[in-house]
Amino acid sequence: MHIRSLLYFLGEALKSIVRNGWMSIASTGVVAITLLILGSFMVLSVNVNLVTQDIKEQVQIALYIDESADEETRAELERMLIRHPQLEQVRFVSKEDALTRLKQQLGDRAYLLEGYEDLDNPLRDSYELRTIIPEDISDVAREVSNYPGVGYLDYGSQVVDPLFQFTGLLRWIGLVFMAGLAVTAIFLIAHTIRLTVYIRRKEIMIMKYVGATDWFIRWPFIFEGLILGLSGAVIPIIILFYSYQVADVWMQSNIVFIALIPPHEIINEMVKILIPLGIALGVLGSFISVRRFLKV
Amino acid sequence: MIEINHLYKEYGKDVQALNDINLVIDRGEFVFIVGTSGAGKSTLLRMMIRESLPTKGSIKIFGRDITRLKNREVPYLRRNIGVVFQDFRLLNDRNVYENVAFTLRVIGSPTKEIRKRVPHALELVRLKDKAYKKPDQLSGGEQQRVCVARALVNRPAVLLADEPTGNLDPGTSMEIMNLLHDINIRGATVIVATHAKEVVDHFQKRVVVLEDGRLISDQERGVYFNAH
Ligand SMILES: Nc1ncnc2c1ncn2[C@@H]1O[C@H](COP(=O)(O)OP(=O)(O)OP(=O)(O)O)[C@@H](O)[C@H]1O
Ligand SMILES: [Mg+2]
Repeated sequence: MHIRSLLYFLGEALKSIVRNGWMSIASTGVVAITLLILGSFMVLSVNVNLVTQDIKEQVQIALYIDESADEETRAELERMLIRHPQLEQVRFVSKEDALTRLKQQLGDRAYLLEGYEDLDNPLRDSYELRTIIPEDISDVAREVSNYPGVGYLDYGSQVVDPLFQFTGLLRWIGLVFMAGLAVTAIFLIAHTIRLTVYIRRKEIMIMKYVGATDWFIRWPFIFEGLILGLSGAVIPIIILFYSYQVADVWMQSNIVFIALIPPHEIINEMVKILIPLGIALGVLGSFISVRRFLKV
Repeated sequence: MIEINHLYKEYGKDVQALNDINLVIDRGEFVFIVGTSGAGKSTLLRMMIRESLPTKGSIKIFGRDITRLKNREVPYLRRNIGVVFQDFRLLNDRNVYENVAFTLRVIGSPTKEIRKRVPHALELVRLKDKAYKKPDQLSGGEQQRVCVARALVNRPAVLLADEPTGNLDPGTSMEIMNLLHDINIRGATVIVATHAKEVVDHFQKRVVVLEDGRLISDQERGVYFNAH
């Protein structure tokens, strides 16, 4: 595109935005609200992820082997566990290993365990299992509990299940809400562009008569949508940046043990995601109107 | 330069707007197209700028059958054909200069070119002193002269005018027609669809008569034809 044409399109687009007044403000506003909510969700979730990541990495199943199981059953159990597609790690911990580990944990007081070695060892042989996807842990645990030679399982279900349910639910509500807002934003932009097409119908007609190309006629409308979408993305980024800084300072002075992700990192992410998204909403909206109402 | 062969245009089933038109127009000619209301004059002009496609037949302009142009080629055809309408169609929020410059801007002409050609076109239609007036500050005849300037600022080889004097009084009509004649003398092929009998009779140019979509008469140095 020639620089002269680019300036022309931009100029025409800006003129329209000013002329459409409230419609332009409404379109930009809805884009801004959509992206502000999306941005807030992102800020929250990356920070929550930071905290839950630790928890997630620690979740594992402890599978204690039934003491009465014979060698054959044990071998069969191991084979089935290794073959399980959702399991990332299957580590055997013999009761001797478990005792050693316990001793290490007790440190100075390891003497308490004296006399429990060998045949008197009260611990059991077990497997430590990790799933590839942490959220799969409940399903896998339920399945594995039916395997032969399993005594009982322990995976902290009281903690893990509600946590994963909660984060999952949050994600769905967010998605549905955002989809609704995005559709509204696209609709409003499309409507604004439609208004522009209507106001400029005479100009468009003359342009066609004197031999302007179809794309030359379309570009100002696309630019108008683009500018509306872009402004709608810049506003929430500014708001999020300042409010996040305030939150960061507050957290540091009040809740010392939770470290937030630094503001500049968050903002880099926001810019990378929200700007293209705003532009996409704007361009999509204007494209719909140009296709439907601009007969060129 | 323009060669029309067995051209038909139907609107729906009943309306035969054009019925087997054959017409050859050479470079530099001045042609009047006359006929009663609904005879098909506007339809014929519309075909020449590919505003709509004929039902059947071909229109060769500059050696190409324009009925076969791809959609994206149509703008480039139109850059070589200026058009003037009865109802002016000026942009009222821009001054005369900008209305004329509009033609060049939207085909991406360089600014230098625009600065050179627009004043030249305005001089040709003798409107240089009104360049910064808005269209609604001008008389009907002046508005139509702006339209002529807009149509020829890109130096098209062909100028089409559909009832350019339809909204003007006889004196002003003659003035506009003289202007179109000047443009013809400078080299452009000019085709004018009109009802203005006295104008046609005065100029003694080629006259093509349409009636109910048929071409019923085509005379060099003709006069306004009235079959009834
Ligand atoms: N878009 C259209 N749809 C249907 N019928 C049309 C259309 N355009 C023109 N017609 C019909 O085609 C015929 C020719 O119309 P056209 O406008 O070419 O006549 P004209 O000679 O220009 O008339 P006038 O002198 O009144 O301008 C008329 O019967 C008209 O009703
Ligand atoms: Mg007509």
